[in-house]
Amino acid sequence: MRILKLIPALVAYALLQVALRREDDADLVHRLKAREPKAMADLYKRCGRLAYSVILRVVRNTGVAEDLTQETFLRVWNRVGSFDAERGALTAWVLTVARNRAIDHVRSQGGKLEANAVDLDRLERPGMFVDLEANALTIDRARRVKTALEKLNANQRAVIELAYYEGMSHTEMAERLQQPLGTVKTWTRTALQILRSELTEAAVA
Amino acid sequence: MSCEELKDMFELYALGVLEPEEKAEIDAHLARDCKDCKRSLADAIALNAVLLSIGPAEAPSKRLRHRLLASIGYERPGWFWAGALAAALMLLLAVWLGTQERERSNQLADARKELLQVTGERDRLNQAVQFLSDPETKPASFGRGLEAPPRGYVFLHPQLGVMLIASNLPAAGAGKIYEMWVLPKVGAPRPAGLFQSDGMRGLHILSGPVDVDALKAIAVTVEPAAGSPGPTTTPIIVAAAGS
Repeated sequence: MRILKLIPALVAYALLQVALRREDDADLVHRLKAREPKAMADLYKRCGRLAYSVILRVVRNTGVAEDLTQETFLRVWNRVGSFDAERGALTAWVLTVARNRAIDHVRSQGGKLEANAVDLDRLERPGMFVDLEANALTIDRARRVKTALEKLNANQRAVIELAYYEGMSHTEMAERLQQPLGTVKTWTRTALQILRSELTEAAVA
Repeated sequence: MSCEELKDMFELYALGVLEPEEKAEIDAHLARDCKDCKRSLADAIALNAVLLSIGPAEAPSKRLRHRLLASIGYERPGWFWAGALAAALMLLLAVWLGTQERERSNQLADARKELLQVTGERDRLNQAVQFLSDPETKPASFGRGLEAPPRGYVFLHPQLGVMLIASNLPAAGAGKIYEMWVLPKVGAPRPAGLFQSDGMRGLHILSGPVDVDALKAIAVTVEPAAGSPGPTTTPIIVAAAGS
């Protein structure tokens, strides 16, 4: 039974292997900029499942997740013109757009202010995704971060979950978890330090 | 706040979940082109992407891909050809069904024709039986004593008309037909219908009342396929009434 539990993780790694081929990024971005429809098919092949998985985890509805995945890829298609083919990290950009589309959808359902949408839009501009550390996303790094994530305690994992998949600020987390703001901030800071150090060590190794 | 103090906030900044005052601090540093903060932001974006990528993998439906590619005016060639093949198969199926339908219609028309022929034959035989069984029918023979056929009988009935049965009657020939004539005792021969031989026998009935007593003879000539208003050849059959 334990081996069955590993299957989603193995599938995720297999997907990452396809998604993280940085050396192909520049060529793919050039073709997307040239408006080659086949490039869109290739981008979807590379990142489609990853983007959909992130979105589904946020919205928890397959129909909505498919709509938002389509919106994500069309947004990338329409904005790729200003993406830096040589210095940009394409998969990181697509995943961020996907996550933000999903968070934006959930926030709009909850009647949150338009200002949030503007802020998310600003944070997914192509210029934000240049000069990430070379090989920022590799299988090895993903595996190490995943292991580190599993080692976090329940509170630390909860705040990470709320920030990444529910788009909550510290104040909102404190309300949801009914904990003092300072405590929530400490959990978040500690969790991110652990994950960050794991990523840094992986880079050194 | 110093760059060091901001260090732990870049992931949340990149996620858009920082409180407004903290966000403003980072924005100010980035606006100053602070290199450390730019590096921290790039690392934070990388960590965020890794964290987003390691969740459980789910598969969207296949139609999402088609929908997406269709929305930018592109469809995978394989699907195009599959569509074209399906269309071609549909066309072939339609043609085949059309042929089948036409064939069925032809068969139906043939069957109807055959049925009409059979019905016609049956009616003629009924008429013949009526002729032969009615006591008022008067027979007349022809061809007796001749070396060459045809030979046979003519049956005359005042209400039923005239029936001719001939044996050894050869086919009339290409573009020709047999025509029967009623020869009255007074006056010119009157046309009494066209008929063909099956190569051996001929049967012809002229339906309707006939003045048997005023009738001199029944004759048959070979005529052009459309028939003639009067005999144009020498009769090959002449059956005198009362003979």
